[in-house]
Amino acid sequence: MEKELLRITGVSKHFGGVYAVNGVSLDINHGGICGLVGPNGSGKTTLFNTILGLHRPDEGTIYFNGKCINNLAPHQIYELGVVNAFQLPRLFYNLSVLDNMLVAARGHQGDRLYNSLFLRGRWQEQEKGLIEEALDILGIVELAQWAFSPAGELSGGQRKLLEVARGLMAKPRLLLLDEPAAGINPVLGKKIFEGIEDLSQEGLSFFIIEHRLEILFDFAHWVYVMDKGKIVVEGKPEEVLEDPAFYQVYLGE
Amino acid sequence: MGPLLYVSDLIVYIGIFGIVALSLNLEFGFAGLANFGKVAFFLIGAYTYALLSQIGVPFYLCLIAGASISAIFGLLVSLPALRLRADYLAIAVLAFGEILRLIVKSEKWLAGGDWGTPVSPIFSYTGSYIIYRLENIGLVFLCLFICFLVVQLLANSPYGRVLRAIREDEVAAEALGKNRSKYKAQAFMLGSAMAGLAGGLYAQYLQYVLPGMFMPMVTFTVWIMVLVGGPANNWGALLGAALVQIIARGTNIAKDYIALPIDLSDLQYIMFGALIILVLLYRPQGLLKESTIKTKALKLIRNGKRAVKNNGSK
Repeated sequence: MEKELLRITGVSKHFGGVYAVNGVSLDINHGGICGLVGPNGSGKTTLFNTILGLHRPDEGTIYFNGKCINNLAPHQIYELGVVNAFQLPRLFYNLSVLDNMLVAARGHQGDRLYNSLFLRGRWQEQEKGLIEEALDILGIVELAQWAFSPAGELSGGQRKLLEVARGLMAKPRLLLLDEPAAGINPVLGKKIFEGIEDLSQEGLSFFIIEHRLEILFDFAHWVYVMDKGKIVVEGKPEEVLEDPAFYQVYLGE
Repeated sequence: MGPLLYVSDLIVYIGIFGIVALSLNLEFGFAGLANFGKVAFFLIGAYTYALLSQIGVPFYLCLIAGASISAIFGLLVSLPALRLRADYLAIAVLAFGEILRLIVKSEKWLAGGDWGTPVSPIFSYTGSYIIYRLENIGLVFLCLFICFLVVQLLANSPYGRVLRAIREDEVAAEALGKNRSKYKAQAFMLGSAMAGLAGGLYAQYLQYVLPGMFMPMVTFTVWIMVLVGGPANNWGALLGAALVQIIARGTNIAKDYIALPIDLSDLQYIMFGALIILVLLYRPQGLLKESTIKTKALKLIRNGKRAVKNNGSK
């Protein structure tokens, strides 16, 4: 097995003449929690979307578990186990909270047309198990009592929590979280990161964009700092905190 | 005798258009595909039925062939069209419907051009129109029942859940591992097959087909059925089909009883307009609201929760 779960080498993505991501190289290890920080507009979310296959990289290569995923469609990248929680929640607002979770489940037999019509026994049992799992995860993010409400009835913070919970429901190998703690109260935000730490010990890897540095730096194993599409600083949280370049690009001093 | 004939005719129409409304509900209500070319697939089914029945093919094979050929065309149209954004998809399939109608209109060798072509009937007319109508009602409602069963099973299955998710946010659904092109193409194919089946029944019932029966207005009346009844609710699609047909056939029937200085058949279009405006203003979700997904497992959990709640309140 490769040491790195995700390896990005020299990836660029430009829109017209603007380089949103410019020659980024980075690695994420199995079970690692990597942070990605940087000023607004520095290309963090574009980098995420490129990993997810929502954008094709113009240059460079993205390897997942040793395999090049440059040309895979988003749903194929998801099948490999790379799952994302969007910065602005993209929920299925007219579906119930529980149904939102069940859509995310990986390998649901009933997702296929033929099975849904003719092999109903096959997925009914599976769905029971999936519902149990979904309710457990919803319990962690304190959404269990909303399970049967439409996702559109949730508050802004709860939507964010459901977005993260939906990512977990997919049982990913690498979960990309775009500002998971934004708009969440501090206690729950910390609880989410504690959950992340537990899961990383079970081998799940995380790549997290977060502006709440006081939480992120407590949990991240490695931090990348991006500015103008490039990685300018990387290292352990305590090393990054001592780097003058980090202060220059991010905190503006 | 007169009124009974009218009512039996109305029931056949409700059954046939109920199938078309269900098919549009699958495509638009559940999968969010704006199919403004519904009439194209209705036409394919009808002409397939007509041409095959003339060379002596048994009626059930004619119906199956109509549905299958319609499904194949649905797939062919969907391959390029589903890459388009919703509004362009609507324009593309609308044009497809008109192109097909103009082809059967101008290619006289194919099916009689503008004059149309007769269809060999299944049920022989034995002197009683009522029995003849009852036979037709039986056939149409058997097909309607099968179609309803299929869409209802899909609506309450994980597959239907994925379709609804794609309707809500296709990028999020794709990022959650759902191959949106595949799902959309499947929904489009299945919807087209059902419309083709309904087209075959329509040709069989009227015993002739001609291009004038497949004007774009047919598509729009089916849209009114779905929008009024309630998208993503199969009972709503049937309710909408019944309401619209009562207006459409009702005005034609009323002509025989009421003398007005205007043609009542034209009045129906004003009534459709008023109906759609009223529904969109006062009940934009349609008369029946979107049905929730009910799988066996979800029902179990839901009932369990309710039981816990009831115990807690005691």
